[in-house]
Amino acid sequence: MRKHIGQSIVGFIILFPIVFLLILSFGKQWFYPHILPNIWQTSQWESLFSPSFQLTKSLGLSLLLSISVGLVSTVTAFYFSKKIAYSYNKTTWLSLAYVPYLLSPIIFAVLIHFYFLKTGLSGSLLGVIIAQFLICFPFGIIICSTFWTSQIQSLENLSFTLGGSTTQTLKRVLLPLAKSTLLLCFFQCFLISWFEYGLTHFIGAGKVKTLTVSVFAYVNEANPFLAALAGFLLILPSILLLLVNKRLIFKTSKKLADYE
Amino acid sequence: MFSIKQITPWKTALFILMLLPMLLGLGYGLLYSFGVIGLLNTGFTTEHWSDVLLNFSFWKSLLFSFGIGLISVGISLVIALWMVVNWHHDLRKGKLSTLIYLPLAFPATVVGFFIFQSFSKAGFWSRFLYQIGIISKIEDFPSLVNDAYGIGIILASSFIITPFLSLILKGIFENEHVTKFQQIAKSLGASQRQVLIKVTLPILLQKAKTSLLLFLIFVIGSYEIPLLLGRQNPKMITVAIVDKAQRFNLNDIPEAYAMAILYVLFLLFLFFGFQRLAKLKTKAYA
Repeated sequence: MRKHIGQSIVGFIILFPIVFLLILSFGKQWFYPHILPNIWQTSQWESLFSPSFQLTKSLGLSLLLSISVGLVSTVTAFYFSKKIAYSYNKTTWLSLAYVPYLLSPIIFAVLIHFYFLKTGLSGSLLGVIIAQFLICFPFGIIICSTFWTSQIQSLENLSFTLGGSTTQTLKRVLLPLAKSTLLLCFFQCFLISWFEYGLTHFIGAGKVKTLTVSVFAYVNEANPFLAALAGFLLILPSILLLLVNKRLIFKTSKKLADYE
Repeated sequence: MFSIKQITPWKTALFILMLLPMLLGLGYGLLYSFGVIGLLNTGFTTEHWSDVLLNFSFWKSLLFSFGIGLISVGISLVIALWMVVNWHHDLRKGKLSTLIYLPLAFPATVVGFFIFQSFSKAGFWSRFLYQIGIISKIEDFPSLVNDAYGIGIILASSFIITPFLSLILKGIFENEHVTKFQQIAKSLGASQRQVLIKVTLPILLQKAKTSLLLFLIFVIGSYEIPLLLGRQNPKMITVAIVDKAQRFNLNDIPEAYAMAILYVLFLLFLFFGFQRLAKLKTKAYA
């Protein structure tokens, strides 16, 4: 009985924000002390289907940005993680991969902003993609490094011994085996980029209006209803990704724990 | 550590992608903070550094961030440990095993916004308590966001960290076969309390210590949550640095860089110092 009550409370704490954001996204007026909005509207949701609506543009931009960062980070991290895993300085490189994470993205943005200004990348989508890549790439290395076990190395050697070329070994042996790690790496980098606000706002100079930037903009405009809609749009794809990805996360976290 | 012979193209490329931007940023910040470069700077000076080092508000921000980090991680750790120890079966199978993943999909921006809308004086819980008659006016609701103690920041940070920590602890619980150790301890006559304190907690905490440190660093370096839920005084360190860097007064920028470098040094010291300490401890046990 006590267990059921406890788990119901946990379930409520987890589900309440989703329901709350959804309700608020349909609101038009919410005077104190009404628990729910006193005037409702569906026009905000309907506007989402119009390509000229700012939030629709932000949704498209965020998707483009996060998919680009996720893809580039995953491919480069996979390549370099192999090099690191087979090198003598594996531990040193992996420790160094934590450094950009330790720095906090916003402080990283403050420190490197000058170079983005000088190269004309500040305030541009490309600039934000590069800046986010610099944060996601080391994180990708940490994830991909769990793949390169001695067993994988033996399989790779076996493929070479049996006459397989480098390309064949990559296509027929390594990539099929690395599928779940690559997917996990892509999803994680996608989510880091999808969730990022400080660095995006600083390097993007407020011109690259992603969904997170929109949430802040609507909060500053004192428009909680549009902010709730933007927030709901932010969590929706990530919930879907996470539910699909649940098994992958569990598998890799197990591998990471074994590695530690 | 590295010899010139060992420098290969991939190492150079990796250095350029992973470390060079950060080193360039730190180098620029260092030169700017010492007055060597920068619009209004006239030459080498230690004035900006002494201003920051002797400024009480910088240390206050750093300590405030560290304190908020410790409290948030502490609360999350207690809740996560409690859930894993008591509900490890439910975390593996059933509704809870799916539910616990959902908060991982919440960005800090959304959590900050949600906490603001639900815990502010005009927020959901204030309205709810008014409707059921516990408070009679809006002012009766306590200040839980933009408050002096960072309660809103702690609530939001704990909300983000707890599910992550629960999943990590659950993984350790299974990988380290804690149930078997518990059974052995019980069969040797240990009480329920002794099993918890002498067996379960030491195994879980020992394996989770690096993750706990990373969560602490995550909270100290968080920006979106304190921006939404914090206030001007005391400020979290990231907000204080960005405020100085973005001010219209150009004289503040060298100080912003000095603060950013000190903050980076503090975190590097915390992370690598902890790792070194952990290594020494492991060696001592061996």
